[in-house]
Amino acid sequence: MKLFRRGRVLQATFGCNPNSSSLGVDVTFLLFGAVFASAMAVMLGALLRRDTP
Amino acid sequence: MRVARVRAERFGGIVELERPRALLHVDQELMRELGEPESPLWGLPVEGPLSAPTEVHVVLSRRCAAGCKGCYVDATPQGAALSFEEACRILDELAEMGVFHVALGGGEALELDYLFAVAEHARARGITPNLTTSGLGLDQTSARKCAVFGQINVSVDGVGAAYEKARGFDGFRHAERALRFLRAVKPEVGVNCVVSRSSFDHVPDVARLVRKLRLNELELLRFKPVGRGARLDEELTPQQSRELFPMARRLVWRHRIRVKLDCSFAPMVFWHKPSKAAAAFFGVQGCVGGDVLAAVQPEGAFTGCSFTSQAAADARVPGAARAAWADGFHEFRDYVRDAPEPCASCDYLRLCRGGCRAVAGAHGAFAAPDPGCPRVQEHRARRPLPVIAT
Repeated sequence: MKLFRRGRVLQATFGCNPNSSSLGVDVTFLLFGAVFASAMAVMLGALLRRDTP
Repeated sequence: MRVARVRAERFGGIVELERPRALLHVDQELMRELGEPESPLWGLPVEGPLSAPTEVHVVLSRRCAAGCKGCYVDATPQGAALSFEEACRILDELAEMGVFHVALGGGEALELDYLFAVAEHARARGITPNLTTSGLGLDQTSARKCAVFGQINVSVDGVGAAYEKARGFDGFRHAERALRFLRAVKPEVGVNCVVSRSSFDHVPDVARLVRKLRLNELELLRFKPVGRGARLDEELTPQQSRELFPMARRLVWRHRIRVKLDCSFAPMVFWHKPSKAAAAFFGVQGCVGGDVLAAVQPEGAFTGCSFTSQAAADARVPGAARAAWADGFHEFRDYVRDAPEPCASCDYLRLCRGGCRAVAGAHGAFAAPDPGCPRVQEHRARRPLPVIAT
């Protein structure tokens, strides 16, 4: 039996980097840890499926 | 959630969201669920460079009247600049490659009379233009024109007298006025703050300013000893390097603001051993020159980042940037594979990528570990001193 596998969001970066000298990495979300990241991945995946025609 | 564009990659693809503004890396399965066609890239090994940078830093000019003492591009009032036609041709090529964002800067990009036309051109080609400015000379009319940009950050390295001490001229009131004008036009306005040895203790004042003006981000940039900065003794002390990430955390909690760190601060973050899964998911990583990002210099050089001068191609030549991307930038891309100690045994190597290549290069060895990394400093302190024969 083949199990149905749902696709995943692997990475999310928010906003745009205006700085023309280096990449701005957001450490704000980092403070919430891995559980928050996993929950965010599931939520973004669900929203993406819902809003893509 | 509104999808603007999708680009296939080896691992699946990158989805650009317009609202909220974000780039999502998704796997091949999710790409199929979203109705995207099969990509030939999906047959390649997952490990490998992106098909194109997601972001390119276009250093439009080395022209600026401010004369900041630590300017990393050594900008002067008569510095070199890309012409309008050259900038547009380069943007055309970047759009064809699939680049999502450009960060326009200099020099002082607002001194160029074609800046807004270049930004409009980027928009017309589907690229989001973003801008860093000192705010000098920005009035309400030009602030209104800045609506064309995605994110705009104004450089503020200190508040009041601390600004003058950091930059060498009294420009704080101009910067603050520019921030107020811009904030009246759009919410995506923030502050870039260079964190140096002497400005470190004043960073909380800048965070208070960000909260007071209701700006959307504070981006802390590491002082790098390049350009005119090479003559200054302003790199962070080992103690400051260790305190940087805890300070950023405090600013987030205390002021309820979004804090970003530039990629060169990665070793200072990972020394504190944050969650690797969270860091990977939110794109917290070290040097991504020649991988996630690239730069175009005012003389046309296509480089891995705007701090390096090693040109992979002349971006003004049609097709040259695309060709260079396909098989260039090995000095950046191969670091993780060839990393020396103490990077080789570091649990965070794949995220940190050895810190900042530009800083390592400024200290004499581009392929060496970042000398500002606390782990590297500890490693070097443990190493026995060489025996000198007498």
